[in-house]
Amino acid sequence: MARVDRRQFTRLGAAALAAGVTGSWTPSARAAAKTITVLNWQGYGTDEAFGLKAFTEATGTAVKHDYYNSEPEMLTKLRTNPGVYDVVLVNSARDSQAQAENLIDPVDLAGVPNAAGLAPSFKTHPNITIDGKTYGVPWVWGMNALAVRRGKVSGVDSYAALADPAYKGRVALFDDAVTEIAVAALLTGQSINDPSDMKAIGDKLKSFKDDVKLTWSSEDEWNKAFAGGAFDVSVFWSGAVARAIHLHDQPVEFVIPKEGAIGWLDNLCIPASSTNKEAGLAFINTMIDPKFYVQWATGSGAPASANNAAMDMLPADDLNRRIHKPEYLSKLQFMGALPDERRQAFNDLWEEVKAFYAH
Amino acid sequence: MTAAPMSRPDRRRALGTAALLLPAYGWLLVTVFLPLGAMVVFSFLKTTPIGGSKPLVFTTHNYLAFIERPYLVDVAWTSLRLGFWTTLLCALIGLPAALALARATRGRFRQVLFLLTVLPFWTNGLVRTFSWTMLLREGGILDDALHLVWPSAGSIGLLYTFPAIVIGLVHAYLPYMILTCYLAVSSIEDGLIDAARSLGARGPAVFLTVILPLALPGLVSGAILIFVPVIGSFMEPRILGGRIGVTMGTVIEDQFTQAYNWPLGAALSFTMLGVVLVIFALFSSVLRGRLMPAAA
Amino acid sequence: MTLAGRILLGLVLLFLYAPIAVMVLMAFNASELYSLPMVPTLHWFEALAGNDKLLAASRNSVAIALATAVLATTLGTMAALALSRQAFWGRSLLQLLLLPPIAIPWLITGTAMLVFFFWTGIGRGLHAMILGHVALAIPYVVLVVGTGLRSLRADLEEAAVSLGSTPIHAFFAITLPLLAPSLIAAALFAFAVSLDQFVVSYFLATPGMSTLPVEIYSSIRKGFTPEINAISTLLLAASVGLFVVSAILTRMGGEPERR
Repeated sequence: MARVDRRQFTRLGAAALAAGVTGSWTPSARAAAKTITVLNWQGYGTDEAFGLKAFTEATGTAVKHDYYNSEPEMLTKLRTNPGVYDVVLVNSARDSQAQAENLIDPVDLAGVPNAAGLAPSFKTHPNITIDGKTYGVPWVWGMNALAVRRGKVSGVDSYAALADPAYKGRVALFDDAVTEIAVAALLTGQSINDPSDMKAIGDKLKSFKDDVKLTWSSEDEWNKAFAGGAFDVSVFWSGAVARAIHLHDQPVEFVIPKEGAIGWLDNLCIPASSTNKEAGLAFINTMIDPKFYVQWATGSGAPASANNAAMDMLPADDLNRRIHKPEYLSKLQFMGALPDERRQAFNDLWEEVKAFYAH
Repeated sequence: MTAAPMSRPDRRRALGTAALLLPAYGWLLVTVFLPLGAMVVFSFLKTTPIGGSKPLVFTTHNYLAFIERPYLVDVAWTSLRLGFWTTLLCALIGLPAALALARATRGRFRQVLFLLTVLPFWTNGLVRTFSWTMLLREGGILDDALHLVWPSAGSIGLLYTFPAIVIGLVHAYLPYMILTCYLAVSSIEDGLIDAARSLGARGPAVFLTVILPLALPGLVSGAILIFVPVIGSFMEPRILGGRIGVTMGTVIEDQFTQAYNWPLGAALSFTMLGVVLVIFALFSSVLRGRLMPAAA
Repeated sequence: MTLAGRILLGLVLLFLYAPIAVMVLMAFNASELYSLPMVPTLHWFEALAGNDKLLAASRNSVAIALATAVLATTLGTMAALALSRQAFWGRSLLQLLLLPPIAIPWLITGTAMLVFFFWTGIGRGLHAMILGHVALAIPYVVLVVGTGLRSLRADLEEAAVSLGSTPIHAFFAITLPLLAPSLIAAALFAFAVSLDQFVVSYFLATPGMSTLPVEIYSSIRKGFTPEINAISTLLLAASVGLFVVSAILTRMGGEPERR
């Protein structure tokens, strides 16, 4: 008997998990009416102290946080902790996966007053629209493209700079399979979500070898290495560039090469197992409120809001506004849903490329 | 054990042994062995069995990774080299330091030094590693210090090199070697060394014939506590190694955190465990001067 | 020998404390990105005073580490006594079984614990974290205490028994005092293993309850501020203080110094 019905297996596991969880969670379950739990990256908007204070004062609902450090971990936490979370931040490229596993619920945007200002292209974005239903509230978006050291690097207009001998040993790549494969896909004129020629992508990535000094995996690592002068050209996040300039005064410039940038859209979702869906939705409504966004973006620094009304409220010379131009929305290739096999192939290729860089 | 019925003291002794072992191994059974047993099962699956709704498919594919992904051989070699250099340097620094601690210091001064060697351990590993980047990078603190003494010197700029990873790892694991060696050599009595000297033995001979055999248990324990985790380390290679910091540890970490391929990650670490066991089996047979590998 | 030995120890300590010194310095440096030259400030300590979350996490860390040190040292020492004093069938196997918790990366052990604890209903939380930390510390204790036992003369205990003392009495009267340095070293290690353990804590902590390493690890995406350096500096200072106090107390206890 080599095959066991995996759904049965999972259901058994989930039942055991639920038993374990409710067993150890009785005290918080009793207080649940007044507390919701949000699952997100740490320091990513939902845990801004001013926002939490305002929300709790307005609604009487307290907000707890749990964090994740990678998208698979977010999914694992949703799977292994049914009933614990009430709001979760999901990269919209993962919506279809979460939906297929019944981890998130559809939402009715009409029930979220502040959703009225959302950019139309986001409201009906293919990433969040599955079988005609909307599975999350678009929250923020951004781009992965090049960040270069101002005063030392100029005239870069293509990802080909990553293989340019002029930047030998001065390049930092993002340690993320999907992003780096997208960079090579753009360079070889392919779709970032469904490239046809993986061999060409592997060869292109390997051609960066002499330039690559390091691969970064957290914004903190990028900041510390850049401040220490370790590299001049890098693949980086648009919002993080704004933060590096705004908060840390770093001489960095965001460049969208002629091949284009890699767009991504993060949305706030309601876990299917949540027991506080209304309170969760109310929290999401606060999060897409333009007033919240402006204070977040001008205070700590944020990616671009999916809410046009919020972007319009930013000062005209705001860095975020200058970087995230509305006209990009129609031109960008957005990270989309990936079937398991393709995601696996991306990861395997990136692992091989990293090993190639090392030797 | 023989088939003959146990005598009473024997039985009491066996019971005592079992009573001493049971708490620790019972604890390990529930928290490590059974969970890792589940991981062994996972390592024979095609995809991670948590979530998704596909049927479970068993495969031995993950254990063929080294054949199907030849680049992993290079990665494993890097890990073994890191383990070798880190263990060797720790032994070369740790044993003399332990001897000095045991023989050149006394009383309370020794206690203080002993505690001082453990104290760095009580700080966070990630923070320590980031501190090393400040020391090692081009134009970093080490460069500044060098230029104070020798202004025209170039830059050391060790960060993002193999030696940088080794320095970080030696720093993280040296206290193990110092302490295990210290525990082994602290019982060497002065009289023993004086006796060897009076019999005409010189420094090196005293070291080889008297000190080294007595220090051996400490060296072996220290080597186990260092070599084994270094093979699977990922934080120091990643942060201090930059581009070249790709090790078995980082590949396995990627399978768990990014690629969500638990079966491959688990299979790789069990393969690694197997390699470690073989190395120790060979090592222990060499130590005992036998040809046949012993069960360590 | 003495002078050369002391110089060597001095160099080793210099190496061990170089990054620690950097860590402490950066707690007093204004730059969030560890940039030089230094601009002295107490800002991070002030920020820390208002950071209840980080302080609570640090308290949790110390409490768990203390519990781990006591439990792991007790269980590990018992096992070490059996393993190094008695020859019995399966001893080599039991010794080999100490390797997996050290050799398998903690990430995998942690993931395995998460899954298994849920299946069995053990769940997440403080109890689960202590279960996990003690398990990871036991092998270290067994190896350290085992090394100490091997250098200890078993004949003393046997002599006491042959003179009419019970084995248990002989153990507490003779072996335990002689073993004290090993026990202290093992407990210090177990404490360190727990205090720096983030993977297992990360998987087994419940939302709203965390430890210092979990806080540090979770904050690297955005960047950890030198508040982390500040709390690390305070913990280090507290440990030094504790050592000094215990050194003074043992002196007052009148323990004779060996000279």
